[in-house]
Amino acid sequence: MNRLIAISSAVVADAIRRKVVWVVVVFAALLAIAIPALPSYGVGIVAGVFGQVAIALMWVVALVVALALAATRMPVEIERRTVFNVISRPVRRWQYVVGTWLGMFLVLGVVLVAFASSTILIGWFTYGHPMFLLFEAAFAVWLEMGIIMAFTVMLSTLFGPVTAVVGGLTLAFVGHAVVGFLHLSETQRAPVWFPSLDVFNVINPVALGSGVSAVYLLAMVIAFAAWVTLFMVGGSLMFAGRDL
Amino acid sequence: MTQTTAAAIPAAPGADAPAVFIEHASKDYGRAAGGRREAVVDVSISVSHGAIHGLLGPNGAGKTTTLKMLLGLVRPSGGTFEILGVRSSDPDARRRVGFLAEQPYFPQQLTAVEALTLSGRLGGASRQVAAGQAASLLERVGLDGQSKTLVSKFSRGMLQRLGLAQALLGEPEVLILDEPGSGLDPVGQRDIRNLMLDLKAEGKTILLSSHQLSEVETVSDEVTILHKGGVAARGHIDDLLNVSGQTSVRAAGEGELPSAVTDVVTDVAVSGSMSVFSLPDEKVRDAIEALYDADWRIVSLQPKRASLEDYFAALLGDGDSTGRMPSQTKGGAR
Repeated sequence: MNRLIAISSAVVADAIRRKVVWVVVVFAALLAIAIPALPSYGVGIVAGVFGQVAIALMWVVALVVALALAATRMPVEIERRTVFNVISRPVRRWQYVVGTWLGMFLVLGVVLVAFASSTILIGWFTYGHPMFLLFEAAFAVWLEMGIIMAFTVMLSTLFGPVTAVVGGLTLAFVGHAVVGFLHLSETQRAPVWFPSLDVFNVINPVALGSGVSAVYLLAMVIAFAAWVTLFMVGGSLMFAGRDL
Repeated sequence: MTQTTAAAIPAAPGADAPAVFIEHASKDYGRAAGGRREAVVDVSISVSHGAIHGLLGPNGAGKTTTLKMLLGLVRPSGGTFEILGVRSSDPDARRRVGFLAEQPYFPQQLTAVEALTLSGRLGGASRQVAAGQAASLLERVGLDGQSKTLVSKFSRGMLQRLGLAQALLGEPEVLILDEPGSGLDPVGQRDIRNLMLDLKAEGKTILLSSHQLSEVETVSDEVTILHKGGVAARGHIDDLLNVSGQTSVRAAGEGELPSAVTDVVTDVAVSGSMSVFSLPDEKVRDAIEALYDADWRIVSLQPKRASLEDYFAALLGDGDSTGRMPSQTKGGAR
């Protein structure tokens, strides 16, 4: 466990010092500030639309950060041979894969908390009441991006950043296109093997102010854990067979 | 003599297992243009506790691949790899091992002490212990005062020293050093050599890969020479380098060497009043008497020893098309 923490904390420190993550967050915050200036607001549509746009923006920002971190970290470490510093120590390869993902997941969590907090403050200032349910949306986005990052990290154990980004984007697209891909009706559920990410889409309940139940949150966590475990096992097996 | 005869294969590990044990190591990278890419072919190396073992060879000889297989960085196609009696595929085998990679790299955004602390924590130490070790090791490798400097600001030589400090984290019993003197100026290379000798005096075992033959010659107890993936020669450095039946003489005097000497010398080099020459052992007495008679002064007299550079060049130049040396392997690992 100590080694997992050491690896993940190195990823966190790296992300903080690179500042790229924070540039993305600041840019997104500026966009959030600009939301009330959208044309829709001129015709009287207010807080609900603000919430929907903020969540969509949050999702895009999280996806950019997730792919930027997950697709580049391991290929760069392998190319620069800094990975030798880790694997030549008494560290198992799966610990490196899982620790790397864990660090990225924590960074993304901090980014989302920062973004959700600033958005809530903007909404509060603009409309006079705080939309704390945006934290619920941030949590759902965090879990979803955790899955996409796990898949991207898995690919990056063998492939370069471009392939890993394309793979991660494909999962994000396919995961939200379950109805179209499987020709399902609106009432049908996707089979369990299909990488559906729709379960993490909580835009409507959050924007409408109802939120989601604790049972639903638990279901999201279970789906998250299952997919991440699958991709981490796959990534560890792929990395185990790789020559460095 | 072939390097893979039964006599040349290291003894099997047991209670008194060698510190490093490699047997029949091979690495085949699969098909490539012009045939298969066999980076390492049937390499066996055994390093005793407390010894410095040099691994020599030209580029592409398989030195780094062998070390990487030993450390689990590259999956071997075959062979046995053990460190202190534990299979090296087990990460626990690396608990007591320090590794310096050829051209070590560190995360650029970390300071020197942070890079070492991270490495120490990966070795299982707590943050406090690792930070304490890092500070003292930076001093030991001559980087005191640089602990707060970002790694990105380090020169090539400083990175090499930092890599060495990382290898020394956790008081490892075995050190695997890949080109430790690379990128260092002459003073830095001398420091590294002295450090290796100090570590040996402390009982550490060192497996050293280097292109710098003089470095290996100075510190190694034994060497293994690799060529085209196979073992070309191995043995004690004295066995490999001493030229049988020849004595090297250094003498000072005015004028020409006496004819009794010039008639029997096999090579001679003159610098000012100093002459260095070699001659057959049985001619030494007569030559010394002739030198005394001509008022020359004998400065030194010792068994003739080839430089490792000369030996290396002759060995590789004499190889057959497979790179194996049919007759020059001397001695054998235990």
